Amino acid sequence: MNKILLIIQREYFSRVKKKSFIVMTFLTPLLIAGVYALIGYFTYKGIKDTHDNVAVVSDNKTLTEQLQTDKNTSYTYLKSSLEDAKKDLNKSDYDYILYLPEFTLEAPKGIELFGAKQAGMSLNRRISGDIEELIRTQKLKQSGISQADLDKLKTDVDITTKKIAETGDEKESSAGASSFIAFTAGIMMFMFIMLYGVQVMRGVIEEKTSRIIEVMVSSVKPFQLMMGKIIGIALVGLTQFMLWIVLTLAISTAAVSIFVNKEDVKEIAAAQAQSQVTQANPQMAAASTQAGPIGDIQKSLAGLDIGKIVFVFIFFFLGGYLFYSALYAAIGSAVDSETETQQFMMPVMLPLLLGYALSLSVVTNDPYGSTAFWLSMVPFTSPIAMVVRIPYGVPTWELVLSMAVLVAGFVATVWIAGRIYRVGILMYGKKTTFKEMFKWFTYKN
Amino acid sequence: MLSVKNIVKQYATHRALDDVSLEVEKGKIFGLLGPNGAGKTSLIRIITQITAPDSGEVFFNGERLNTNHISQIGYLPEERGLYKKMEIGEQVLYLSKLKGLNSAEATKRIKYWFEKLEMKDWWNKKVEDLSKGMQQKVQFVATVLHQPELIILDEPFSGFDPVNADIIKNEILELNKNGATFIFSTHRMESVEELCDNIALINKSKKILDGAVDDIKASYRSNTYWVEYEGDYSATSNEIYSVLQSEKVKGHQVVKLKLNENRTANEALAQLLPLVNIHRLDEVIPTMNDIFIEKVKGQSHE
Repeated sequence: MNKILLIIQREYFSRVKKKSFIVMTFLTPLLIAGVYALIGYFTYKGIKDTHDNVAVVSDNKTLTEQLQTDKNTSYTYLKSSLEDAKKDLNKSDYDYILYLPEFTLEAPKGIELFGAKQAGMSLNRRISGDIEELIRTQKLKQSGISQADLDKLKTDVDITTKKIAETGDEKESSAGASSFIAFTAGIMMFMFIMLYGVQVMRGVIEEKTSRIIEVMVSSVKPFQLMMGKIIGIALVGLTQFMLWIVLTLAISTAAVSIFVNKEDVKEIAAAQAQSQVTQANPQMAAASTQAGPIGDIQKSLAGLDIGKIVFVFIFFFLGGYLFYSALYAAIGSAVDSETETQQFMMPVMLPLLLGYALSLSVVTNDPYGSTAFWLSMVPFTSPIAMVVRIPYGVPTWELVLSMAVLVAGFVATVWIAGRIYRVGILMYGKKTTFKEMFKWFTYKN
Repeated sequence: MLSVKNIVKQYATHRALDDVSLEVEKGKIFGLLGPNGAGKTSLIRIITQITAPDSGEVFFNGERLNTNHISQIGYLPEERGLYKKMEIGEQVLYLSKLKGLNSAEATKRIKYWFEKLEMKDWWNKKVEDLSKGMQQKVQFVATVLHQPELIILDEPFSGFDPVNADIIKNEILELNKNGATFIFSTHRMESVEELCDNIALINKSKKILDGAVDDIKASYRSNTYWVEYEGDYSATSNEIYSVLQSEKVKGHQVVKLKLNENRTANEALAQLLPLVNIHRLDEVIPTMNDIFIEKVKGQSHE
């Protein structure tokens, strides 16, 4: 046991003391925070500076109200026909012509926007949003609500609208923050398992190629050496993770207070939501509606059980890492150099990649579906799937079962890897095949 | 101190060791000889507990080999290396702590050895900055630092220049004088004759010869002598000896005589002395190299 401690110590300190570790650890949060600050700053600036003049040609008799000018969009109603307006477009001082044909409130079709330049997605959204609101107001009126009541309601409706548009109902209100955390956790989990798993593999290859391995195994059992390395590197990962969390929070908070004053935070939130919705992927858009705004997130975070999420993340990081890094150690033991690892890497990478891709699409879309359930039970994918699911809430029995399966999973991979490792590390200069690895596995001591 | 009894080790289709037994006496230098692939490394890996035999037993000082013995054994493998990025001092310290030494004691001993082998300034150097010979010295120190009772050296002199090889040889002899037992695995026969008290020869997974170097050599005596003399006489076979070879070298006659049964060298000399001026009489004793080649070749012809 004492020997494992010595090995853990060496593996840990030899990595933590490296310049590259220190640089990476301190630079990464700075970069992340910096990128966020820049995105926030430019979207904010962009939204503030945007102003479009829109001429409206209306053949519509249904809409009784007119579109209201606000600080980003000015609406001017023209008397001329659409044809004339089109002809005059280049001479006039408005940029776009909005054509409202006659339609029913139930099916508002045929609305067109003409412009000398292609209208951006954000203008498109603003106009359609304004029209939708107009229709909504009118529908309310039709259902017998008097103008006076409506005016009274107006303020209320505004608040409600906002909630529906941005956050939905109470339960949903943390969905934004949930998605943000789910995405971040999923990506981090994937990166961590990959990065540190590969480090284990490199460490094993280094010991093998430098031939220190034979000196080592005359003092310690191969299994101790393997576990010492795996645990040592896990601690490096945890250290980095903790430092990143602390540093990222500190720097983002600082960045937010430097770049943006408090009232603007909301606006940036809306702006970012818009700009990100415009990205092609609708699933991404739904999730990232809330992904950007640090201010909002910080508020919504209060609704989540952060302690539980962090605990689950660390548990599944350790479990998933142990599960995969044992396999990486076995690969490392079987080859003579990193270039030979390709053929063995694929089968190990594939389930992890699959878990990553499915978790960030299917699982975030439907965190309670059967795909999500099975992905979070199979130990090959559960580390990523579970951290993605956990912010949405997972039944305790599922969580416990998944943890148990993962523990059983890594005990199995560590055992299998240990048997391959003890033979592999002493084999030099032979091209290894899967068949051969299986043979090693069956050797007695 | 070390008894290896009927060891069998099987790898899939290949039998690495087939019923190998040998005894290593305390305080001796034991040579484990054999061509490449004979099974030497497999045997050493069993003694160092890197692998376990399929059947057979190993006893260390009368006890069945167990993990407590790891700290009693120092092993310098043929395929040896060090962590490239680690500082020398730290590295040796780490290796000796793994053998069970505490930090303070290990540091003291490392300083002693570094001083002794003129590597004082190396403590903070990294392995990648050292020459191969320098690395070998570091590895040797790491092998003997925990004062093991049994030191196993696999091809210890490969990669050393003659000066450093000599330094290491003297250290080996000194450690041996202080009670350490050595097992040498090598195919360099000069060093075997120079250092080893006993040997075992392994070929094709089987032990084919073992015993004290002197006894083995004696058993390969063939009662043959080189005689060099001056004089106008050409020796011919008679009832005392038969002449195997005769030639003239720089005006001296050199003949190779094989004594007939129950004859002694004295009788041969007595026969020759009246006739010629004897310059030299040497018994033809086979070198370990000759014995090695003869035994290994002999077996492969079977």
